[in-house]
Amino acid sequence: MLRFILPSLPGHAQSPDTRDTTVASSLNRSLSEVIVVGYGAQSKKAVVGSVTSIKAATIKDRPAASFDQQLQGRAAGVQVSANTGVPGDGIFFRIRGTTSINAGNDPLYVVDGVFINNQSLQKITTQGQANNPLADINPADIESISILKDATATAIYGARAANGVVLITTKRGAYNSKPRVNFNTYVGAAWAPELWDLVSGPEHATIINEAWVNDGKPFATRPFRPKTEGGRGLPEEQPTYDRLHDIFRTGILQNYDLSVAGGNDKTRYYISGGYNKQQADIKTNDYQRASLKVNLDQQLNDKVRIGSSNSLSRSRRTNARVGDGPQGGILQAALHTPTYLPKFNDDGTYAKWAGFDNLDVLINYTDMHSNSTRYIGNIYAEADLLRNFKFRTSWSLDYNDYDEYEYWNSFTNRGSASKGLATSSVSKNIVWVNEQTLSYRTEAGRKHSFGVLIGNSIQGNVNTQTWAQGTNFPGDTYKQIASAATTTASSTRTESRQVSFFSRLEYNYDGKYLAEVNVRADASSKFGVNKQWGYFPSLGLAWRAKEERFLQNANAISDLKLRANIGLTGNQNGIGNFAARGLWTGGFNYQDNPGTVPYQLANPELGWESTRQINLGVDLGLLQDRISIEFNWYDKYTTDLLLNLPLAVSTGFQTISSNAGEISNRGIELGISTTNIRTRSFVWQTSFNIARNVNKIEQLTIPIDASYAAERMAQGYPMHSFYVYKQLYVDPQTGDAVYEDITKDGKITANDRQMIGQATPKFFGGLSNTFSYKGFDLAVFFNFQYGNKVYNSNRFFHESGGTRDDRRAINKHQLDRWQKPGDITDVPRVTTLGTNYTLSPSTRFLEDGSFLRLSSLTLGYTVPAAIASRLRASAIRVYFSGSNLWLLKKYKGPDPEVNVTSDPNVQGYDLGTPPQPRTVQFGLNLSL
Amino acid sequence: MQRISYLPFLLSFLLLSCKKFLDVQPSQQVDASGAITNAGSAETAVNGLYNLLGSNSYYGSNFMALSYLSGGDIQWTGSQSAPQQIASRQLSADNSNVASAWTAIYRTILSANYIIDAVPGLSDPLLTQAKKNQFLGEAYFVRALSYFDLARGWGGVQLILKPTRLADDQAGIKRSTLADTYAQVLSDLDKAEGLLPATTNRTRATRKTVWALKARYYLYRAQWDSAAANATKVISDAASYSLLRPYNAFFANNATATAESVFEIAYSVSGVNNHYNWWLPPALGGRREWAPNAQLVALLNDANAGGGRSALIAQTAPPGNLWYGKLYYRTPAGTDPAYIIRLAELYLIRSEARAKKGLLSEALADLNAVRDRAGLAPGNAQTEADLLLAIENERRLEFAFEGDRWFNLVRTGRADDVLGLTDANRYLFPIPASELLADQNLDPNPGY
Repeated sequence: MLRFILPSLPGHAQSPDTRDTTVASSLNRSLSEVIVVGYGAQSKKAVVGSVTSIKAATIKDRPAASFDQQLQGRAAGVQVSANTGVPGDGIFFRIRGTTSINAGNDPLYVVDGVFINNQSLQKITTQGQANNPLADINPADIESISILKDATATAIYGARAANGVVLITTKRGAYNSKPRVNFNTYVGAAWAPELWDLVSGPEHATIINEAWVNDGKPFATRPFRPKTEGGRGLPEEQPTYDRLHDIFRTGILQNYDLSVAGGNDKTRYYISGGYNKQQADIKTNDYQRASLKVNLDQQLNDKVRIGSSNSLSRSRRTNARVGDGPQGGILQAALHTPTYLPKFNDDGTYAKWAGFDNLDVLINYTDMHSNSTRYIGNIYAEADLLRNFKFRTSWSLDYNDYDEYEYWNSFTNRGSASKGLATSSVSKNIVWVNEQTLSYRTEAGRKHSFGVLIGNSIQGNVNTQTWAQGTNFPGDTYKQIASAATTTASSTRTESRQVSFFSRLEYNYDGKYLAEVNVRADASSKFGVNKQWGYFPSLGLAWRAKEERFLQNANAISDLKLRANIGLTGNQNGIGNFAARGLWTGGFNYQDNPGTVPYQLANPELGWESTRQINLGVDLGLLQDRISIEFNWYDKYTTDLLLNLPLAVSTGFQTISSNAGEISNRGIELGISTTNIRTRSFVWQTSFNIARNVNKIEQLTIPIDASYAAERMAQGYPMHSFYVYKQLYVDPQTGDAVYEDITKDGKITANDRQMIGQATPKFFGGLSNTFSYKGFDLAVFFNFQYGNKVYNSNRFFHESGGTRDDRRAINKHQLDRWQKPGDITDVPRVTTLGTNYTLSPSTRFLEDGSFLRLSSLTLGYTVPAAIASRLRASAIRVYFSGSNLWLLKKYKGPDPEVNVTSDPNVQGYDLGTPPQPRTVQFGLNLSL
Repeated sequence: MQRISYLPFLLSFLLLSCKKFLDVQPSQQVDASGAITNAGSAETAVNGLYNLLGSNSYYGSNFMALSYLSGGDIQWTGSQSAPQQIASRQLSADNSNVASAWTAIYRTILSANYIIDAVPGLSDPLLTQAKKNQFLGEAYFVRALSYFDLARGWGGVQLILKPTRLADDQAGIKRSTLADTYAQVLSDLDKAEGLLPATTNRTRATRKTVWALKARYYLYRAQWDSAAANATKVISDAASYSLLRPYNAFFANNATATAESVFEIAYSVSGVNNHYNWWLPPALGGRREWAPNAQLVALLNDANAGGGRSALIAQTAPPGNLWYGKLYYRTPAGTDPAYIIRLAELYLIRSEARAKKGLLSEALADLNAVRDRAGLAPGNAQTEADLLLAIENERRLEFAFEGDRWFNLVRTGRADDVLGLTDANRYLFPIPASELLADQNLDPNPGY
């Protein structure tokens, strides 16, 4: 008789007691493994839903600021993409695809039972990107991460679970264990492995002169003619300035983590402190985090336990404007200033070109920084009430204070017109949750066993911001707004609340037949009174065929489980807290008198967005689980999309919050783990996962352009589809670009744009190989994606055929232009006339974004125990590690894993985005 | 014992407080029904209306940019393709600048409609009839200006005259003809004229502001007598309005609301005018996305054509030596006014109206008043045709950075001759492609 369901199930929400979790020594994904699920922990064998559990130890090799980036490629069906190479910047994270357009698509993150905020609080713009609040969590404190994917796994979180749930369990001590001290450190370096290829000054001048002549203007008045003739000098006289290498650098990485864990028979504890500093590969971005963690559990008596999880961290970011937009744009100034233009004016002052700041000014004087102070914690008490009845109550808090400051001095463009410009913004976000659960479980060892959980939850979210700006400073040494002659300020506050009741029923017949029903009812203050409540049920079944007589003697098959489930989950994230109401707002002042204007239209019928998901899965273990395979097929269908439905703007409103539209996500996920070789001294294990998700907007009454209009959302097409003019070819006779005229009206108009390709991959996944030989260990991890497109907007600006003259740099591809009849190229004749270089966006810049990346490689050596003990250590390991060491791509930019904006409806749009760094680190793990 | 005491407590706490708990009220906005309820809130709604009129996408730069980039004298010196299309007069229906101007104008109309709808029904002892009339008159004026701008930019448009309270309130409304659209402008101007006091206020609408806009309206409608008569009402108010010398007196040295100005939108650091950003070079805090072209620079610097108007431009430091417009230049950035009607325009309106009526010497006198102020010798055009050309050229330089040139050339039918724009469909901006998708009742402008 197998005991599948742990007696402690509901009592240890997100904190499995180490007495029950005898996991650590298992090399394979063992069936005895206990994994954390919603409001409990289950043995792997008894899990009915689709849950991927990841040990933090396996993903730590990548020196990313946040655990979500470290998950890239590690879990089937979980797509992770970093927007930029700047540490601590936003991450695109999708579990089984995008389900919504205007509501959130990020999963719910729960840390030790605390529902944490993952929406950026950043208010001072870095031009498109937003900080990643998950970076406030020190990955070194994480024990394990469970990714809940299907309806059975997620429905207990009901209204917030449509995009999946990520449960983070932090490290705890063990009862009756001696204090164990761990010290981990690394130092390393990060740099950009590839930059852009820009033309030289003479080449730039040649292109501009050529466009001039091609425009039909006289050669004699070409822009780059001798200065004596009033020109800018001959092409060959033009200098070349390399600005890119002025801003890219080798950044230093360092990390220190110190922890002590242990316990006696009544108390266990985990106490840690950490410090991490990462310099980006591009100036002037730094990321630093200092963190403290205290986890405590105390048995008050035989029946009552109390405990607490606490983490306090401070993340300091030194920022720069690395995104879109010229003012203060440090990468734009380096990447897009024409290379022939000098850094200084004739009189020695800083030269500024094309709307950009002078790069030296930005490198020396960019002064933007933010401090995120974050407390995430909870306290809980649980009591064994009667036999098999358990009660638990907990209070949780996620408190985040995000304090930003910028000062633009009088050398900068932003500061020059204002005689210095400073902005201070302090945002505070509080998420609090109170939960009670009551659970019952039949005695172990019976043929029929039941588990019942009922619970309630109330939660609130308060977000406030105080903002001040000062201009007109007495001088650049005065940087605080107190010194500014002109100041403005404002504050904002918004709040939402939610009430929930939930229940789970489990039934287990003899370890063969498993059934699980989850129901959750949620009410949100965001919706109209009649639409506040949403109900989210799920039903899951599993059959452990291995337990049947006919398979018991099939020795090759060590496990076989079939799973099926269906359920509903909801979504209300990302919409305004008062989205259902017709409102007027203030702040539209005139002559410093208060002014009010209409703000949004009422929609009293606004209600929950809901996602129906079906999952069919197979878990197969072969050869004593030396091979284990997990396969899932799923079908998600989202209805009543929370959508900002476009209105005729003649109404005075552009959109109305509505439940309109439907999106489907269908896909398959395959995960294979094998132990290829296992001898006493040598072990080789492989883990591979691949997933395909097919996303489709099933219903949308009118197409909606994304904020970068190269992408459009339209019925019948996937999210993140590109909507572009299609360049068929460059006419070899005339050199003109020929575009597809799909309306056949003889001219190219806005109606000739078409949906071509998408930014989301057709397949993606990861491949991990780990080897250990005596004291040596080697881990090699690749991740890949295939079939996605990237719009290379840098090329749109760089290859502009002379239309941008002295306003944008030119890249090497432009040199492949058509020059004479017979030339075969896709780069048209340079000219400022016609549509060769004015039609945008065009397929010419839509590129294949597939890649295969050597995401991390680690070689470690563990000092023999005898030597370690002589050094009074219980274990000593040293290692070398590298990340992003090799990249296979077709993309013409440095890295296809980029995105210009944190706007979730735009993906795969590259414009002045710092590439992913290549890093190497040397590290030490020391246990005392 | 312990469990017995706190479980019922928790349950009752939850049940009782559930409904109340979920009742969260905004503290930053008010429900639309409570937006205009008394004298104070009516006044803030009117303030908001001026703010919208001066918003970035309307007079705060974007709408005006449609005109000056189209007008042939301003070159595109930026990187974005939307303004590039405007400058090359190759607009496509997905042009984002056109869409945002259209949106901003209708947003302004919505606010005006709310005020026109709500204010007459208010009963508040603090809201005197005079105040009521003023608020209503201002709303009618702003709505008239908004429809006037739609008419000259896009032709006949949908006339929305009631506030939108529910999403389908305006369903079924089709585009009106150009004549009906202009008729609505006149109707609103007439109402505003009756409601507003004949005071002088250069940053809010008064009866005098209505006269000025009426003068421009009648000029566009080729009703010369009315154009001249309304212009005269303002010009003859010499105590309030006069042409300042030198030319730059109306904008230089941080001057605002000068005697030259009939109507301008005021800005402050908490509500900025975005023009500076597009005109000023980086060294002065802008982006210089557009700039006077060589032809305009030459004219402005020509002592016999530009005169004092050379004060509108300057050059960046060597070796750049790039010309830029400096009408919008102030510190702190963005505190420049947006100029909507200046007295010089009324002189030129009257000059043209008089020329059309054969009053050539009076017409020449009005033209020369403007030339004289610019420090130029009097013109000596003798025929109507010469006069009209002289007026056109005077407007070109007098309002070089005020968004007049394009609409003026289209109005006079000279866009073909001057700009070589043969396709008359291109005299109107496209109805935004996104609007055609969102509104089944909206027809596109031909040719787009």
